[in-house]
Amino acid sequence: MSTSSAEAAAPSRRERLSRRRWNASDLSLIAVFAALVASFSLLPGVPLGSGVPITLQTLAVMLAGIILGPSRGAAAVALFLAAGLAGLPVFSGFSGGLGVLAGPSAGYLLAFVPAAFVVGLLSRIVLRRARRARFPLLFVSAMAASFLCVHPLGIAGLMLNAKLEFPAALAADIAFWPGDVLKNLLAAAVGVSVFTAFPRLAAKGR
Amino acid sequence: MRGSSHLLGAYRPGNSPVHRAPLALKAAAVVILSAGVLAFRALPVLGAAFLLVLGAYAAARLLSESWRPLKLMWPILLLLGVFQAWSNGPAAALLVVGNIVVCVAAARLLTLTTALQDLLDGLVALAGPFRFLGADPERFGLTLALMLRSIPFLLGSAQDVRHSAMARGLERNPRALTVPVVIRAVAYAQQTGDALAARGIGESSGSPDVPKRRQAEGRG
Repeated sequence: MSTSSAEAAAPSRRERLSRRRWNASDLSLIAVFAALVASFSLLPGVPLGSGVPITLQTLAVMLAGIILGPSRGAAAVALFLAAGLAGLPVFSGFSGGLGVLAGPSAGYLLAFVPAAFVVGLLSRIVLRRARRARFPLLFVSAMAASFLCVHPLGIAGLMLNAKLEFPAALAADIAFWPGDVLKNLLAAAVGVSVFTAFPRLAAKGR
Repeated sequence: MRGSSHLLGAYRPGNSPVHRAPLALKAAAVVILSAGVLAFRALPVLGAAFLLVLGAYAAARLLSESWRPLKLMWPILLLLGVFQAWSNGPAAALLVVGNIVVCVAAARLLTLTTALQDLLDGLVALAGPFRFLGADPERFGLTLALMLRSIPFLLGSAQDVRHSAMARGLERNPRALTVPVVIRAVAYAQQTGDALAARGIGESSGSPDVPKRRQAEGRG
């Protein structure tokens, strides 16, 4: 069975992706968090103190990474993305389909998968090392994922699809920064509450 | 929130050649057309693609639907068009905005003329060729179905939480609005996972670790 090169390559990749194969609870968590990203994309935004509502899509993406860890979190976001690209109306504004890939916000949508992975990786390090100060450390993890994945890829998408020069794309991107900081604060707070309610989720290394 | 009715998608039933064309053909056409338009970035190509897409809408008898995506996107397209016209000239503006509109309209025709179940089956079938990399279409299909089933539950749960936050005067508190939704989502996922495991569904063959009951965990 392991004679063909394809078969031999399979375990290593599988190991890299998920270490062990996912069981039914893992699949169920992935499905529910993909649904959470979809629901938070569809719901009207939460009004903040200033009265400006913010959509909660990126909040759910960060939560998937923080709560499920890098591989399950990225899988949940990728499942949401795959369902949306296939035409399910799960992106904001009840839209869906391959068309979003040609739109100006394509970079942001695609960046969600690596962002969930990065925040998951960093938050697992935080949860393993730190018993206290989890809130600020989770917030820093989420901010790192925002600025390593979401904003660079978002700017790249604006430059490619909207044909903006870098300064213009950066200016458009900066408009999202204040909302991002608030959503990452909220993601860290929700993460701490969820780990208090379900301590075993934090202990699980995936 | 309007229950789960919006999740039925944008499908408009019909019996036109576009409706009856196999999904793989339609998807390939959308991908090739979009790739062509984006690769060439020339007005004649854009014009040809525009006529092609309009013709396909006419063939599907959905011409009245063709402008629908514009209704949602016009503010951002207008902003983009004005900015491009100001910085790179009107031809560049037309090209950038036109490319986006043509690609979005082509992709939307696919969703309009294909039943949701067929789209989902097509998505699961896409996982087939990746079987040698460890992809498992059956488990993928199961996870996708679980996701769809969970969306109405989560939307309803979010609405309940919003109502109870309002009753306590906390409707402007983001934590009061989100924490209970996420905690309920995790509990729901664990219950569903246990129910699946109890029926032997979704377990990878030969997996040694049977998930333990998680009743002790959580708030109870």
